[in-house]
Amino acid sequence: MARDKRRTGRLTYARMASQGAFLILFLYLFVETQSKGEDTLGPPVRLFLDFDPLILLTTLLSSHAAPVAFYMSVALVLVTLVLGRVFCGWACPLGTLNNITASLRKRTSSHDWHRLKYLILVFLLASSFFTLQLAGLMDPMSLLIRSLALSIYPALNQAASSASLVLYEHGPAPSFTDAAYVWLKGLVLPFNEPHYSQALLLGSLFLLVIGLNLHERRLWCRHLCPLGALLGLLSRHSLLRRSVSEGCTGCGACTTLCQGAAAPDRKELWKSEECYYCMNCDDACPEGAVSFGFSGSRRQAALDLGRRRVIGAALAGAAAVPLMRVSGAAATVDPLLVRPPGALGEMDFLSRCVRCGECMKVCITGGLQPAFLEAGPEGLWTPVLVPRMGYCEYNCTLCGQVCPTGAIKRLSRNEKAKVHIGTAMIDKGRCLPWAHGRPCIVCEEMCPTPKKAIWFQEADVKLRNGRKVRLKQPVVDLELCIGCGICEAKCPVVDRPAIYVTCSGESRSDNNRILL
Amino acid sequence: MAINRRDFVRITAAAGAGLALGRKLPLAFAAERSPIVVARGTDPAGITRAAVDALGGMGRFVKKGEVVVVKPNIGWDRTPELAANTNPQVVAEVVRMCLEAGARKVKVLDRTCNDPRRCYVQSGIADALKPLDVELKHIDERRFRDVRIGGKAIDKWPLYSEALDADRLINVPIAKHHGLARLTMSMKNWMGVMGGRRSAIHQKLDQSLADLMLVIRPDLIVLDAVRILTDNGPQGGSLKDVKKLDTVIAGTDQVGVDSYGATLFGLKGRDLGYVVAAEDMGLGSSDISPERVREIKL
Repeated sequence: MARDKRRTGRLTYARMASQGAFLILFLYLFVETQSKGEDTLGPPVRLFLDFDPLILLTTLLSSHAAPVAFYMSVALVLVTLVLGRVFCGWACPLGTLNNITASLRKRTSSHDWHRLKYLILVFLLASSFFTLQLAGLMDPMSLLIRSLALSIYPALNQAASSASLVLYEHGPAPSFTDAAYVWLKGLVLPFNEPHYSQALLLGSLFLLVIGLNLHERRLWCRHLCPLGALLGLLSRHSLLRRSVSEGCTGCGACTTLCQGAAAPDRKELWKSEECYYCMNCDDACPEGAVSFGFSGSRRQAALDLGRRRVIGAALAGAAAVPLMRVSGAAATVDPLLVRPPGALGEMDFLSRCVRCGECMKVCITGGLQPAFLEAGPEGLWTPVLVPRMGYCEYNCTLCGQVCPTGAIKRLSRNEKAKVHIGTAMIDKGRCLPWAHGRPCIVCEEMCPTPKKAIWFQEADVKLRNGRKVRLKQPVVDLELCIGCGICEAKCPVVDRPAIYVTCSGESRSDNNRILL
Repeated sequence: MAINRRDFVRITAAAGAGLALGRKLPLAFAAERSPIVVARGTDPAGITRAAVDALGGMGRFVKKGEVVVVKPNIGWDRTPELAANTNPQVVAEVVRMCLEAGARKVKVLDRTCNDPRRCYVQSGIADALKPLDVELKHIDERRFRDVRIGGKAIDKWPLYSEALDADRLINVPIAKHHGLARLTMSMKNWMGVMGGRRSAIHQKLDQSLADLMLVIRPDLIVLDAVRILTDNGPQGGSLKDVKKLDTVIAGTDQVGVDSYGATLFGLKGRDLGYVVAAEDMGLGSSDISPERVREIKL
């Protein structure tokens, strides 16, 4: 018995080591989702999304296609069929964060809400079947990357830089503080200080998910996670089984430690689809009666979701499709809805984008921002370029490289140069040479197209003092302007720039065009 | 050192005296009619070295143990053949000569217009400097310092402290077309150490560039004209606008160097408003008579 116990203890440590390794890998890839000045990123930063079968399944349903890399998630399906929901217990970085947070409290409540996540899954599958892709809102990989990228990481960065500034100015060793900050910046902090318009909302939702663990251990994983639900269904008949020997006294020690609320005290009738194979029960059993192996009993508890509930969730998912679209956001284009270069046509784009936030994280100028309602309720947290926060760098193609679903196509530099994401227009009432008799050529100087899309018309202007000046007044060439927005970003009229970009003329649309 | 100094005085008269005695002398005195060297040849590093050697060698400008800031134009996310940034081989050769002269530390920097990471990498400058013991760092926005300029157009401006605090400043610009200034060469290159809303100076560009010379006094200028950009500047993007001249121009007077540079584009020095403004303030001489200019062919 004692020998058995040592063996199982080792398994728990192995599980924790695996969780730690995957979390570190995840965070490493997250931090590496940043330009180093080369045309391509080195590491496979979207690896965790590529292995996500929920994204694969819903993308296949909603857009009838998925990028090749996504089929890597078939590997996770196979692993789950053999080993059960080990992903949740051994690999998922959000699960690990939940696990760590839950460990802060010895005892938490337990609710019988586990069916909810299956109903959420049914809802998402039904809506994606009718082309509405909402899976990313609750998919754990998307949720985690989006929350970290758009809120938690920028907040940590701000905390680090403010703290170092205060220490630098008032602390005892300013040069040490400065060196430490520079070192930290080179190691993990972002190159540019990131700002995202919905950081507070996204961060609060994330902290809520994490905080729920203090109410009930791994509440998100147990009751809400749609990927967990999908993997749970796949693990119903997994080969790795749990068995309880005659030695079980029914003391219930396993129940309090079970991460998934899988009813381990019920021996063969445990809920295999709720088990993360965390090995806690194996470790905790004072009798050493619990073991995992490939030869255990095939018996298990029935998973009764309730037929009416399932049908109800499916109908709700279907009903969400017209409800989300009836407001007419698709019919009237928001002029500020400038999508990243390579974005598919709006309908196709929305049916693929999973709001993981990778494109916004990697955007070299920080211009890609999460939409709120600019693209209708369906477009929540999809990327939109806000040139005043950052323009689209002419030679940069990173957003298309990190997009996991092909909502933003991967473009070469040459292909990208031909894509118009919008058009710049001049506000002649605010432009210095047009309205105020002062020279300024910043928009033209910054314009990156090889033949500049901004040219000058010359005008002789009489100033108030009677002096005549010859001014170069900028004019936009509609054929050449690609809408990158560097003119808007760099315009010296800062608050409301005298030149600004709208999505008018975007290549991806057949209707939102200006030219014949 | 004494013999070198005598040589130098013989070549450069007042300018040589000014440089040898140190940087405290009034700029106008140091820069007046100092020699301009034009070196031509197909090896960018070779003509760079030849041009500096003809001025008396880097040892004239950089002393043992000094901190040197080398300021190329790395403003744009463009590759070297597009002539938007200073030729990487020219930059590397200037750095190499500084190190040979015994500089304690050589820093290369620019406040770029496009994303700094892309500019440093795509310009080829990061790669060219890799084998050298040089500090190529991005601008740290916390390191700008308000400087009183007291010029006609700008009174005060945040400038990069590392450039202000260096023992020696070497300006390594490229000669390019520019929509407002007509051409951008050495004087305009110092916009790369300006912080804040520097784009606002375009409203009084020529005078602002001249004003900047009141506080930023490079010890040496090496103007890269290996390739020049003749249109759609200052960032170009098409080989059609690039002309290969295989030329480097070196001197200690920015007004003179820019004045010579103008001739590469078929203009005269005084066609450029900032050359006129600076010369009128007594900050240099646009004269490029044969007595002043020495041409070398490699």
